[in-house]
Amino acid sequence: MEKILMSLGLDLISAKVLAMIIVCIVVLLIFVTIGGVLTVVERRISGFMQSRLGPNRVGPQGSLQWLADGIKLIFKEDLIPTGSDRFLFRIAPYFCLLGVFGTMVVFPWGTDVIVADLNIGLFYFISITSLVVIGVLMAGWSSNNKWALLGGMRSAAQIVSYEIPVGMSLLVPILITGTLSMGGIVASQGWLPWDWMIFQSPFTLMSFVIFFIGSLAEANRTPFDLPEAESELVSGYCTEYTGFRYAVFFLSEWANLFVLGGLTTAVYLGGGNLPGILEGWSWLSVLVFLGKVSLVIFVLIWLRWTLPRFRIDQLMDLSWKYLLPAALIAFFGQALYMIATNGYPLLQSIIAGVMFLLFLFMMVKFFIRVKVNLFEMNTPVNSRATDVS
Amino acid sequence: MSAYFENITNGFKSIFEGMSITFAAMFSRTETVQYPEVDITSNESIRKDCKGKTYKGTLMGMPDNYRGILNVDLSKCTACGLCMKACPIECIIINSVKCDKDKLADADGNPINNRFTQKGAIKTRTSTRFDINAGKCMYCGLCVMACPTEAIVHTKRFEMNTENLNDLVLRFVSDEQKEKAEKKANELEAEAAAKKAAKAAKEETSKDEGA
Repeated sequence: MEKILMSLGLDLISAKVLAMIIVCIVVLLIFVTIGGVLTVVERRISGFMQSRLGPNRVGPQGSLQWLADGIKLIFKEDLIPTGSDRFLFRIAPYFCLLGVFGTMVVFPWGTDVIVADLNIGLFYFISITSLVVIGVLMAGWSSNNKWALLGGMRSAAQIVSYEIPVGMSLLVPILITGTLSMGGIVASQGWLPWDWMIFQSPFTLMSFVIFFIGSLAEANRTPFDLPEAESELVSGYCTEYTGFRYAVFFLSEWANLFVLGGLTTAVYLGGGNLPGILEGWSWLSVLVFLGKVSLVIFVLIWLRWTLPRFRIDQLMDLSWKYLLPAALIAFFGQALYMIATNGYPLLQSIIAGVMFLLFLFMMVKFFIRVKVNLFEMNTPVNSRATDVS
Repeated sequence: MSAYFENITNGFKSIFEGMSITFAAMFSRTETVQYPEVDITSNESIRKDCKGKTYKGTLMGMPDNYRGILNVDLSKCTACGLCMKACPIECIIINSVKCDKDKLADADGNPINNRFTQKGAIKTRTSTRFDINAGKCMYCGLCVMACPTEAIVHTKRFEMNTENLNDLVLRFVSDEQKEKAEKKANELEAEAAAKKAAKAAKEETSKDEGA
């Protein structure tokens, strides 16, 4: 890229800067597209889960709905309420977006497709996503609106509480791999399911569950969507936002879904690892990675449309009384486990295999239950005649 | 302490069950009827929308007891006015005149019974005006219950958009029918008057004779 720009007659520094800007814009466009498409995907899936159709009018099967929504929001009037802190009100959405977009630096798209494999990648990841809470708090405070303020406060309390179990649970994979770099963590896992971090020992599975719950809470998604609880706080911190700024908030929320999926996949589900013979096929590893990410995103959406919202005290109970002790147990348990099985690689792989088999058994049980429910659901509702005389 | 672990197991169990239900719902039938594109008043056409696709949901058109816009079968109506009296908001208006006596029968020739007396219904009057204001009507169904011959019924229709409020008044008797009925009634009245006059004249003559 730089060479092409330099051949056009630019000097080294301006070529580098220009190249950076171009890469940034390209990544931002990809990022925005993912965020937009995910809104449609979520609405369609939620529709099917509620026996509805969801948006299906714009484009084939409603696939262009996100463009219509975006265009509509951009053309709306940008209102700033009187009495609000105008400066903070204006920049708050971009903090949210920046917090999510910043993770693209260490996002492991494939085994060797990564913008910068920082040696503190994971640490950077959980740090930069904390910017979101600042944006939310700013939006809540500057709106001069009680609902927005309550939403912002709740969000701050929630994200700060859940950062701790999430950070603690992420120590378990770090303990195993001994590195903080995303590339290193991905490379330490294999392509087979029982080589993945999640099935390494009972404690990694535990840490996965804690991480998953905690990251759900950090993304403000439904069992933990107290910051914008529609039934209580109108729309939480984005009550006063309209038009483009509102769109930015929502974009960052859905892009965060993708980022979460990516982090979960990279740390626990083996990233974009390929079998030995296919080594070096980066595009295939990107596809594998995206496939796993979409599976995780599906589970996230699925959870959102299954579980009702927590109360604030239940939320805090879950974080401090359940997740934090569990994270500590997982951390120390994994340390002891590593000492105990040190030098017995066969034992370790047997345990990993047993864990995987247990997981398969649970899946089979799950699908049997699904079949039972499906049979009950397909009994026609008004096939029976009701008589009113 | 045991309550603590019970909470955890309960949490996982309920999530397991809840997620199996939502996952099953993803593959169950979609209930959405894409309304303007399908005629949802009939069970047959709801199965196919305008694009020829088949609807697979479990809803089967309007239920049989659906209370839609009222309809009157004038061939069964005896113009008794019970529906007009039953209506709590007076959206039914009936004017009636005398007509030829007629035993009511349905299309197959079976006599129609009065629901309350269980005897064959006899038509002695015919309506010259039968208006139902669908804009006022609240679809309570009291008129349907009051009707002795089941002439007034709820249909499964519910769409009645107009640009003019007056279009919401359903007129079941046309002007021609009204004129015809009035003419017939006048004839009958004249006949009856003539009979009466003849009878009176006869009585008078008999009186005269007797005197």
